Amino acid sequence: MSDFRQSQNEAHPNKTNTLMTGIIFLLILFVTIQIWFLFGTLNNALQENLNFAITTAVGSLVFAFASFWLMKYLPEPIKRKMKK
Amino acid sequence: MSKDPNSEIPKWKQDFPIEQKEATHVSRREFAKFLTLLSGALAVGNTAIVVKSLAFPEKPLEGEHAICMESEVREGDSFMFEIEGSKTIPYLLINLGNGEWRAFEQKCTHLSCAVKYRHDLGQIECPCHKGYFNPRTGDVIQGPPPRRLPQLEVVIREGQVFVKAQQS
Repeated sequence: MSDFRQSQNEAHPNKTNTLMTGIIFLLILFVTIQIWFLFGTLNNALQENLNFAITTAVGSLVFAFASFWLMKYLPEPIKRKMKK
Repeated sequence: MSKDPNSEIPKWKQDFPIEQKEATHVSRREFAKFLTLLSGALAVGNTAIVVKSLAFPEKPLEGEHAICMESEVREGDSFMFEIEGSKTIPYLLINLGNGEWRAFEQKCTHLSCAVKYRHDLGQIECPCHKGYFNPRTGDVIQGPPPRRLPQLEVVIREGQVFVKAQQS
């Protein structure tokens, strides 16, 4: 017997795909910005520019929390039925 | 989202599939989880830099350090020396002539290569990637270095050369 979720998935087969692509796109964006922050911090810390390091560390933590929060919306895989 | 209709397959079995093709396959879910982990690692790295700067601040150079006799370094020549501190830093003492002396950190600000003074060019050169610095101020003239060379103040007293931290 099919349930609500199963019929939803059958009616909108692209939904999981779109959600997955969106999440991966956002994660790549976050990681790219974080690499940029880290590069800037390494360069500026050498010049004893602590304010820059603190600002980017806070920004990087915000992005990391956002990444973990996005995991909440990661769709479960739709699996084939296992043969008994 | 939905409850997995095939929950009969236990988690440990999903992680250790029988077929090699399934074992090497990286799903989009796994890729997204890896990106999240990477994001966390980058945040930890960025925070570690701040914590290190706050917990272990670099101590400024204290007092005067005798380097060598004035007569040992001829005009247009340079002299390498090290100062022991919280970490050992190599420096370069330069006799520019007419009583002008300068001392700079010897590490290039680009990738820490050893810089040398070229009297024929009148510039400090980093031979690794052709970075050039002004021998009077330490400013970058050309090349990839992002910052000027850190400088020390040179004091000549009774024929002997001393260095001390520059007063800002």
